[in-house]
Amino acid sequence: MGFIKMEASASKLIVRNLRKSFRTQRSEESVQVFEGISFEVFPSEFISLVGPSGCGKTTFLRILDGLIPHDDGEILLDGKTVIKPGPDKGFVFQESSLLPWRTVLDNVILGLELQGIRGSESRKKAEWYIALVGLAGFEHHYPHELSGGMQQRVNLARALIVDPQVLLMDEPFASLDAQTREIMQAELLKMWNQTKKTVIFVTHQIEEAIFLSDRVVVFSARPARIREIVKVGIPRPRSLSVKRSKEFLDLADHVWDIIQEEVLKSMGREREEGVL
Amino acid sequence: MNAATKKDPLVPAWLRSSRMIAACSVIIGIVIWQLAYEGLARTPYFREYSINHFLASPWQVVQTFGELYRSGELFRHSYFSFLEFVYGFSLAIVVGIPIGFAMAIHRKTNYYLDPWVSCIYATPTVALAPIIMVWFGLGIFPNSLVVFLGAVFPILLNTYTGIKSVRENLVNVVRAFGGSPLQVFFKVMIPDATPAIITGLRLAVGRAVISVVVAELFGSEAGLGFMVYFYSQRFLPGPVFVGIVVLVAFGILSFLALEKLQGWLSPWYTYQLQRQIHRLETE
Repeated sequence: MGFIKMEASASKLIVRNLRKSFRTQRSEESVQVFEGISFEVFPSEFISLVGPSGCGKTTFLRILDGLIPHDDGEILLDGKTVIKPGPDKGFVFQESSLLPWRTVLDNVILGLELQGIRGSESRKKAEWYIALVGLAGFEHHYPHELSGGMQQRVNLARALIVDPQVLLMDEPFASLDAQTREIMQAELLKMWNQTKKTVIFVTHQIEEAIFLSDRVVVFSARPARIREIVKVGIPRPRSLSVKRSKEFLDLADHVWDIIQEEVLKSMGREREEGVL
Repeated sequence: MNAATKKDPLVPAWLRSSRMIAACSVIIGIVIWQLAYEGLARTPYFREYSINHFLASPWQVVQTFGELYRSGELFRHSYFSFLEFVYGFSLAIVVGIPIGFAMAIHRKTNYYLDPWVSCIYATPTVALAPIIMVWFGLGIFPNSLVVFLGAVFPILLNTYTGIKSVRENLVNVVRAFGGSPLQVFFKVMIPDATPAIITGLRLAVGRAVISVVVAELFGSEAGLGFMVYFYSQRFLPGPVFVGIVVLVAFGILSFLALEKLQGWLSPWYTYQLQRQIHRLETE
């Protein structure tokens, strides 16, 4: 056990041999979602997960949070096994997941409130994080009074306020329009610079993954395995113009090739299954 | 055509507001009623048989209202009906909401209770009222029971649907931040189900008012339903219409009060509803 502890001090998050299968409702046979997933994440590292759609990225992220159980393997966060959700992990959800009956302030406070922390201290903290995501002055607005981009900022503040060890983000910008998304990407990098959180970011947008990350983990089609972990050597701080550099475009092409191959593979398999 | 050349509308803005239009509509309706009364009264048939046994004019209704009010008769009947309504409706809330909750949360409870709820819900309350009179006699208690039966199911079923349709992703948010099942219940399920529960109450108000009248028709010594029945048997339409008007006013007022309550408890819901309607209209 001592070895694991030492190892853990070097890596923030260790995923070893993770396997997950679902039992379908129609038949008794189980469908393998992914198997043999292993990788390590260093402290303050920004990791993206990409892969063909339906490959189980979101499921994987929910397992990392402890929201759904896995079948095999282990997840270590700071050397401790992850079994259930908690304030050591911050989760940023895909679509609008703000509680509509709470104001921005009360939505951000939620994470602290669930731990039983109340009072002016947590209020001040919430106001600080609301300012960090650039929403100062909107504390008493309701989610329906905010635009999609603003709602995702609140979503982010809500995850950050619990001061998590790792930030898990599930396609947070998927529902935003292209312009807002670009702005949010740049903002996210700025906040990441300020808070130095370890981030696991799930997206289906390859450009987004490369722009944000230190490393991009590319999943294969179902049953998903890790096809490749692509290191992004582009120096930081990155501005949006980086997206037009040759280095960036080469990386994007490379990731695209892998994913395209996987998509074709899964389409071929589906066709075979269809014939049967 | 630009704004400058546009003619000013003939009707000023305050007259074109939705409230004003609604008020005008009601006034026109009352005027037509009065004219119909005057017109019918001049036909040969009603010259022979006095129209006052069949129809009261709006003005006569107002006069009768004053008479019944001064004699204390209106208050006595209204109070009796109001008590029936309050007892029956309160009991419906106290029983309906917890059972709806239990059925939504606990699957076995749902299996056991579902056939009974379906059966009794499908049974017309009108058909149950006489036997309740046979069992419990006349008075406030049996009548309240009829009101309870009429009101409980909309409340129960809406509570059930409300809890069942709590949004999964909002539940997941609270779970993801380490919320306990109890916290999920109080911080997500109850607030998310509140609009549906209040909608149930609003539907129940209408049914409760009907049940008050039905119960009193079958047997009673007082109440607005009794009053309506009593005076129509004696060919005195004035008090009959007074009774109906009071019942209608009560129904509308409680409906509006609950609408206000909904807006006050769940202001976000009104917005969501408006957006859905807007989306349907634009599609």
